[in-house]
Amino acid sequence: MTHILAESFIVESIEKFLSNSGFMVFFEVEGYKFIIMVLIAFVLLYLAIKKQFEPLLLLPIAFGMLLTNLPGAEMFHSELFADGHVHWDIFVGTAGLIDYLYLGVKLGIYPCLIFVGVGAMTDFGPLIANPKSFLLGAAAQLGIFATFLGAFALGFAPNECASIGIIGGADGPTSIFLTSKLAPELLGPIAIAAYSYMALVPVIQPPIMNMLTTKKERMIKMSQLRQVSKAEKIIFPIVISVIISWILPDAAPLIGSLMLGNLMKECGVVDRLSKTVQNELMNIIVIFLGISVGATATAASFMNWRTIGILLLGIIAFSFGTAGGVLLAKLMNVFLPENKKINPLIGSAGVSAVPMAARVSQSVGQKENPSNFLLMHAMGPNVAGVVGSAVAAGILLAFMG
Amino acid sequence: MSMMALVGFLIVFVVLILMIFVMKVLGYTFTRKVKTSRKSSVDISEEEVAAILTALKLYKSDIHDKETELLTIKRMSRAYSPWNSKIHGLTPLPEYRRRQW
Repeated sequence: MTHILAESFIVESIEKFLSNSGFMVFFEVEGYKFIIMVLIAFVLLYLAIKKQFEPLLLLPIAFGMLLTNLPGAEMFHSELFADGHVHWDIFVGTAGLIDYLYLGVKLGIYPCLIFVGVGAMTDFGPLIANPKSFLLGAAAQLGIFATFLGAFALGFAPNECASIGIIGGADGPTSIFLTSKLAPELLGPIAIAAYSYMALVPVIQPPIMNMLTTKKERMIKMSQLRQVSKAEKIIFPIVISVIISWILPDAAPLIGSLMLGNLMKECGVVDRLSKTVQNELMNIIVIFLGISVGATATAASFMNWRTIGILLLGIIAFSFGTAGGVLLAKLMNVFLPENKKINPLIGSAGVSAVPMAARVSQSVGQKENPSNFLLMHAMGPNVAGVVGSAVAAGILLAFMG
Repeated sequence: MSMMALVGFLIVFVVLILMIFVMKVLGYTFTRKVKTSRKSSVDISEEEVAAILTALKLYKSDIHDKETELLTIKRMSRAYSPWNSKIHGLTPLPEYRRRQW
C-alpha cells in the first residue's frame, strides 16, 4: 500500500514539475513563437559578439529579448504598461526585475541621460565653425517625414507612423524617447530596427551617395574650417538650449540633456562630472536601456507582419535621410562661389549616427581622392543631425501628443 | 497627413535656419573681437617695421656668435638604493647542498 502511495506521489511530483517547466509552453498553441524569438535573440547575440554590430547596445538588447521570451520566467509583464500608462495599482505585486528597469524607458529617463553622455562626448566645433551644416542636418530629416507618410500608407495609426518615421533620424535615444511616449507597444521592433540600421550605415549609405553624385563632385576639396574659441563653445550649448526649448518645449528634455552634457565638457570646470557622464553613467544606462528595450520584444508584440513592415520602413527612412542630405548639398553648390563649394558627400552625414555617418563620408571621399580629408567637415552636419532629429521628435510630439 | 509631414519638415528647416543666424551672429562677434584685439594702437610705417625687424635680427644673430663651444658632461652621483635594485626582485635559485658521504 505504502509502495503504491509513494509511486503515485513521485508521478504527481514529476507531472507538476513538468507542467511548471518552460518546455510545456512550447507545446501550447502558438508556443513555436517563443522558439523563434529565442532563435532571433541568438542571431542578434551572434551579430553583436562575432560581427560586432553596435555590440554595446545590441548585446544587452538581445539578452533582454532572450530573458523575456523564456517561458515561465515572468520577468517582464507588458500588461503593467498597457494603454500607454503604468498601472501602479498592480505594479508592486506583479512586477519582475525587468519591469522595474523598464520604468526608466517608460518615464523617458534613460534616453535623456544617454543624451547627457552623448553631449559630453560631442565636439560641436565643426558645426560652430560652419553653421551652414545645420541645413544639411535639417535636410537629412527628410527620411523621418517620408517614412511617416509611408507608414500611414501601410495602414499604421498616426502616432505609430511618427514613431516609425523617427527611425530615419538614425538616433537610438531619440527613437526610444518618442516611441515610449507615442507607441510603446512598438518599442521593441523600432529600437532593434534603429540600432541595427545604425550599425549598417557603412553598407546602406555608400551606394546612395555614389548614385546621387558625380565623380567630380566627390572629389571637391573643402577649405579649412576656422578656429573656434572656447567662449563660443561654452555659449553654444546655452544658446541652443534656450532658443530651441522656447520654440519647441517638447524637444526640451532631449536638447536640454544633450547641451547640458556638452556644457560640462566645454566649460572645463567640472571635469569629474564630464568624465562620469561620458563613462560610468553612460555605461550603466546603456545596460538598463538595452535589457529593458530588448525585453519589450515579446513573441506577441514582435511576431507579426507589422514588425516586418517596420523593418522595411526603417531602411527606407535611412535611405531617404541620406538622399535628402546629399541632394541639398548639391543644391547649395549651385549658389555657392567656386572656392566655397561643399563636397555633397558630407550631406549624408546629416543623419545622426555619430560618428559612423561622418566616417562613411570620409571613406567614400577618399576612394575618389586619397588626399581629401572630409571627416571634420562631415562632423558638422553629423552633429547638426543630432540636433535636427531631436527637433523633429519635438515636432512630432507636439503634433501627436 | 501629407500636409502634416510637410509642415513638420518645414518647421525643422525654419528652426535650424534660425540657429544658423544665431551662430553667424555669435561667430561674427567673436571673430571681430579677435581681429580688434590684435590691432595695434601705435601707428608706424612699413619701412619703420622693416628697420626694427632688421635690427632685432642683427642683435639676435650677434648673441649666437658668442657661444663658448665648450661641451660639458654633467656627472651624476647617485647613492645606491635597494628600491630599484634588480637583484631583490629575482627569486634566488635554490642552493644545492653537497652530499655528505
